[in-house]
Amino acid sequence: MRCLVVGICILLAACGAPQPPLVASEVEITRPVPGRNMSAGFMVLTNNTDQAIRITSATSPQYEAVEIHETTIEDGIARMRALDELVVPAHGGVALRRGGKHLMLMGGGDTGATVSVQFFSDGAPVLAIEYSYPEGEE
Amino acid sequence: MGPRNLIIALLLGLALAAGIFVAIRTQAPPPEASSALVLPAPTPLPEFQLVDHRGRAVDESVFVGQWDLVFFGFTHCPDICPTTLQVLSTARAALADEGREPLPRIVLVSVDPERDTPEILGPYVEYFGEDTVGITGSLDEVTRLASDLGIFFEKRPADGDNYLVDHSAAVLLIDPDGRFSALFSGPHRVADYVHDLPIVMQGS
Repeated sequence: MRCLVVGICILLAACGAPQPPLVASEVEITRPVPGRNMSAGFMVLTNNTDQAIRITSATSPQYEAVEIHETTIEDGIARMRALDELVVPAHGGVALRRGGKHLMLMGGGDTGATVSVQFFSDGAPVLAIEYSYPEGEE
Repeated sequence: MGPRNLIIALLLGLALAAGIFVAIRTQAPPPEASSALVLPAPTPLPEFQLVDHRGRAVDESVFVGQWDLVFFGFTHCPDICPTTLQVLSTARAALADEGREPLPRIVLVSVDPERDTPEILGPYVEYFGEDTVGITGSLDEVTRLASDLGIFFEKRPADGDNYLVDHSAAVLLIDPDGRFSALFSGPHRVADYVHDLPIVMQGS
């Protein structure tokens, strides 16, 4: 997937097309465990611009609320905290991974086959992604 | 020394070398657990009165009769709890594929008994496999069990009425006599469990 994203970026650069400022790759959004209405989102966010991009909020039509959280494990204790913002450095990236920073999607109903997430920086949209669950996944 | 004595001496020498070889082979150290911390003396669990994910009353005897991998977590936790339970479930399936016996149960003890009623806990634990058990009940009783096992947990307020629970990330192995016998402190990896569990469970 990373190869594909890099490949697309190279292709766009070769054609003179502007690179998208913010790109999400390696996206995975879990389905809620039965009986629960929350899930987690994991991905790599890459900033192609010369300036850091601050993600201050996110929404999803399939969920009541989306928050940016971080799990830390220190001295054997797992802690999860909401983050006020997620900064994607200029020409750099941020990985949202299991056991680290992640999206927490809360209050979801029947999520169907896809989940959409929109990211905002102080209210201005900066990225929209649509994730399709792998085929065969219940 | 005549030729006959020389042959006898050679044979004796060979026998001695073979003996040393066999002795070294049989003294080869048994395989050791790589990530599990095996307790030198397994410790019995404290007495407690809780309920399982089907609402049945359970006490400490629920841990007698089989090996149990015990994780303290909660269902309002979208990241580390389902990830850990998935690791345990995948490891157990891998051991089953290898034809290993016995296979451990997976037990989730809720550190959020206020919200994790048996109705909530039931479908949640069953998602991680048939032989998975949820335990909940009164906060005092959960605290007694957890603290006796060195497990920490603490409620943290979040937005509005919401809250999160900080908790130990460790997985405990309870032996069929209901004694705490080994600790996996994490990070939890399927390969570590597949490697260590047969060693720890057969070595006891």
